[in-house]
Amino acid sequence: MTELTVRESINQALAEEIERDERVFLYGEDVGDYGGLYQVTEGLQEQLGDDRVFDTPLSETTLGGTVVGAALTGSRPIVEIMFGDFLSVIADHLINYAAKMHFNYGDGTSVPLVVRTTYGGGDQFGLHHSQDPMPWFQNVPGLKMVAPATPYDYKGLLKAAVRDDDPVVFFENKQRYEVSGDVPDEDYTVPIGEADIKRRGEDMTIVAIGGMVDVAMEAADELDAQGYDCEVIDPRTVMPLDKETILESVKKTHGLTIVHESAQFGGMGGEIAAEAADEALYYLDAPVKRVAAPFTPVPFAENLEQSYLPNADDVEAAVIDALEG
Amino acid sequence: MARDSEREEVHEYLLLNRIFEEKVLEEYEDSGIPELPHLSIGQEAVGVGGTFAFEADDWLAPSLRTRAVMLMRLSLRDVVTGMYGTKSSPTEGRTTQHHLGSSENHILGTTGLIGSHLNVAVGAGLSARQLDEDRVTGVFFGDGAATRGEFHTAINYAAVEDLPVVFILENNQWIEETPAMDVIAVEENISEMAGHDIPKEVIDGQDVDVVLESVSGAVERARSGEGPTLIEAKTYRYRPHAEVIPERRDEKEIEEWKERDPVHLHEERILDDGLVDEEWIEAKRAEITEEVNSAFEFAKNDPMPAEDVMYQVYKDTEIDENGGVVR
Repeated sequence: MTELTVRESINQALAEEIERDERVFLYGEDVGDYGGLYQVTEGLQEQLGDDRVFDTPLSETTLGGTVVGAALTGSRPIVEIMFGDFLSVIADHLINYAAKMHFNYGDGTSVPLVVRTTYGGGDQFGLHHSQDPMPWFQNVPGLKMVAPATPYDYKGLLKAAVRDDDPVVFFENKQRYEVSGDVPDEDYTVPIGEADIKRRGEDMTIVAIGGMVDVAMEAADELDAQGYDCEVIDPRTVMPLDKETILESVKKTHGLTIVHESAQFGGMGGEIAAEAADEALYYLDAPVKRVAAPFTPVPFAENLEQSYLPNADDVEAAVIDALEG
Repeated sequence: MARDSEREEVHEYLLLNRIFEEKVLEEYEDSGIPELPHLSIGQEAVGVGGTFAFEADDWLAPSLRTRAVMLMRLSLRDVVTGMYGTKSSPTEGRTTQHHLGSSENHILGTTGLIGSHLNVAVGAGLSARQLDEDRVTGVFFGDGAATRGEFHTAINYAAVEDLPVVFILENNQWIEETPAMDVIAVEENISEMAGHDIPKEVIDGQDVDVVLESVSGAVERARSGEGPTLIEAKTYRYRPHAEVIPERRDEKEIEEWKERDPVHLHEERILDDGLVDEEWIEAKRAEITEEVNSAFEFAKNDPMPAEDVMYQVYKDTEIDENGGVVR
């Protein structure tokens, strides 16, 4: 084991996968010599060569189309889209192309691409550089979405995404690049489609996505001090969802709180709540709570943005509200 | 000019394209076909000559109207069952043959969004470079697609990276029911819109020999590492955008284009050159008609697919019908 930051674990995963398989390459705006806006790809071009790690035009239209075409013809490309907000530009290629080609071919062809992108607020980058765009794509069969929380999961899931035969959008939370944790020295992957129980508990199931896992863990610590024993589940893969792990937990704790950074309305929380209502209603002893953003664009001013983003206090309040009414 | 045996083969493909699509029209009007026909009658020379210029393992990304790619790379049975969505169709009824992809036959799957395949084709070119494979990608697209950002961004990237891609613009003069030049800000040739520094050719799309020669040259340049070419083939479709749309074009305009019909033009040339005689042509027509009719008979009698085939969503993960992972 070595202690690595999320940034380092992604950088290592990229280097190892590009080295492991000659069909893998990494491209995108500024990912080469500059090392990417968030310096995640720092040193990779020098280490692996400019034929395996290279810069592109600013055009997301070109990136979205070419990554699909390369994946359909024998390559296993990784493309970096600088901000998740810009996925709107490649939405056509993700929704109508990448997600649907396995359905549209008769011979088992799929689209083994990885789109790496950043998401989330907290930097006062404003309404077009701070969004959590996951809900835009949760209704797209054929697309996989991965949003890890720990350095271990970042590395293992990115490696799994590169080796996966289906299109994967890999979401990196901007606030978590400096978070560190233990990462194995040997090669490993974390399976796509498998949730992880980050903390065991008996009184409440908290499902938290991506950057909100740390928030939920902080809240669980505070709640523990007050006598509430919370279980924290990190789906890790947002689509397709490991519903089974969540429902089993709900049947044990009899409670459910969901935390994500995108707006509450139309978000994954509603979907998970509906699954619980459908499959585990009679196990529930408390109302289902969602802790998420309000239905408004991500605001710029510091106090507004902080108010917009869910935090540990919000999670704590929601859990107490559910358990105590 | 192609070798004599190839000129005969090219003519057979022109006849196949024409006879096939006339049969589609007849069947559609007579008893209906589930897939709404978007016919290429009148502009077959671009698809046939264009497709013929590539090797079998070169990738092709057809437009909605490059029926020739499908007819020249798939069996007739696959194409026709694909239009009916029956059990024997390539995707067992999941999709129509309009956008079908086939890794086996090196046809890049497309979508119902006109022009979204341009950068995908450039990606296939990028892949060839990355994998050090000696193959070229051809992409066919219409005048409508040329108004999209896809067109400019795809050509820019292919050009800046010198990728082995041949862009074949099938300029059939009409974007659905709007005259192309009413909505495109150039005087004469749509390819002028692309200011990129790549070779461009504007050619007679009704003459299959001209198309074959031009595309072959572009394929050769791409294969030898000289990068992409943009070819604009001037052509015309005799039918409306789709068969559900009433014809509103001037009958005189359609008749004028029919005077330079691509099938007749080539037929007269090979007859004049003494390459084939009338008997050969009649025999080929009869043979192809019989094959086409038999493919339609097969499709019409083919059973419908089983419902479970529509759950082909992920290759690597098993899910239930509501998107939950099956563990």
